[in-house]
Amino acid sequence: MSRWLGCPPTGNSSEIWIFRIGSPLGWIVVPVILLIIWQIAAQWLNQPWIFPPVSRVIGQLVHPFREHYASGSLLSNTLISLLRVLLGFLLAAVAGISLGIAMGSIRIIRSSLEPIIEVLRPLCPIAWLPFAIAVFKRGTLPQLFGFGYTRTVFDQVQLGMVFVIFVGGFFPVLTNTLDGVRGVRRNYLLLAQALGAKRRQIFRHVYLPASMPMILTGLRQGLGLCWFVIIAAEMLPGAESGIGYLLMYASDNAAMDIVIAAMLIIGSIGAFLSLVMRKIMSGLVRWHGKEI
Amino acid sequence: MTHGKINNLLKEKPIALELRKVGKVFRSDTGPKLRALENVNLRVLQGEFVTLVGATGCGKTTLLNLIAGLDTADEGNLCLGQGLRFGDNIAHVFQHYTLFPWRTVVSNVSFGLQMRSVPRSERQARAAKLLASVGLEGFEDAYPHELSGGMRQRAAIAQALAIEPKLLLMDEPFGAVDDSTRNELQEMLTNLWQENQATILFVTHNIDEAIVLGDRVLVFSERPGRIAREFKIDLPRPRDRMAKEFTDLFIRIRTALSGQLD
Repeated sequence: MSRWLGCPPTGNSSEIWIFRIGSPLGWIVVPVILLIIWQIAAQWLNQPWIFPPVSRVIGQLVHPFREHYASGSLLSNTLISLLRVLLGFLLAAVAGISLGIAMGSIRIIRSSLEPIIEVLRPLCPIAWLPFAIAVFKRGTLPQLFGFGYTRTVFDQVQLGMVFVIFVGGFFPVLTNTLDGVRGVRRNYLLLAQALGAKRRQIFRHVYLPASMPMILTGLRQGLGLCWFVIIAAEMLPGAESGIGYLLMYASDNAAMDIVIAAMLIIGSIGAFLSLVMRKIMSGLVRWHGKEI
Repeated sequence: MTHGKINNLLKEKPIALELRKVGKVFRSDTGPKLRALENVNLRVLQGEFVTLVGATGCGKTTLLNLIAGLDTADEGNLCLGQGLRFGDNIAHVFQHYTLFPWRTVVSNVSFGLQMRSVPRSERQARAAKLLASVGLEGFEDAYPHELSGGMRQRAAIAQALAIEPKLLLMDEPFGAVDDSTRNELQEMLTNLWQENQATILFVTHNIDEAIVLGDRVLVFSERPGRIAREFKIDLPRPRDRMAKEFTDLFIRIRTALSGQLD
């Protein structure tokens, strides 16, 4: 059973509450017990470079601006990773939804592209990284638009990274959109046609809204996968910033407290992104699951 | 198939729709050919309310889809009367999937107007007026899943009327609602028809409904679908189901239908 914490239940389902969380047992009691066990075990083991106590990890988390060597702070690296992900994901969403609708509704586009997609889809997005780096070299987003070095966080948005994120997000969005469009009931197309909708209007007013639940599912899966992929990509040699990079760098320097702090940040952000997408979904498609 | 315009000066009322020797065959890749319609001849005059009664699966829906331009005939001619155009002033009310579940009631009703690029404020006003005429005031912002079956069909009728149809095709629109709701809807439809002067072609498998609504009842035969009999209903509206003329007609149509079924 879910419980409301921090804000009262309003009964108005259209309001989006980000803070609606589950039972306090799972959110507070169990984590606190685990943290206590962790603290005691770590103190007993007394090898903080392998198993740091909670207190040291929390010590890192409460100082997110602290610079670690030359590789930036927890916060700056997190922002860099998020920026890369959001940019790549946005491109993936636009391309995946457009191509999915086109493939789902126009037979010739589907039959000509399906084989290529079936081969490229199972390929781990990380496998694209060497290729992406070879193509885009060390090019960054500001360089792409002719700004050169801007001394901002955007200098850390390498096109190769964005490309790999794009690949990671593209296929879930595409396949879910495609399934959604193909699953549109013929009756709705007939109804729209009977009411005088032209072909282009049917795309916008039937295919798009009718497949919206599947599109949003694809977006949620895609965003989750993008967040997976960026961490892996940043941990590989050649990366020089990002939360995955900081995690790897701290590990090389036996700073396990930073490693675990980074892990907690990565997990929390992933959960947060998923929650936001879910809320957007239930707010946007109130009718989902209630087709008549 | 040709869609000529007909000017029949001999009749007092102009023809809304005429079908001559229309046939339709469905071919599947594996199964046998299915003759859905054969030699269908039908003439509907403007302002007429014609009901088509027949067993489920006898090709009535196929016939409506041909008239609506959602499908094409394999044989024969289908002529639309003057001023009638596919995708313009021929409206269709289905039994299921009559409303878009992702749209509110008011935006469902104004769908056809939106497709015709009518400005937003005007289509909202017209939709609200139509919703009032079908007894759905106050449900403008509800979603279809929040409505009862009868209310959905009311909204569907408003949605069809919004495009100001000259011909209204109705495919068992009240097939999925309970009896008392069905009676209310029939009464409402009769009133709307009398006010709007539209031509209605109404498909049903319910004999009672066919007699209550129609100026003429056409009995449809099965496989291949054909018009087997025609009954003129001269009873005054609103029609009394208990009247002897009504029950006599009921029995005659029932006999005609069961003759087809056996």
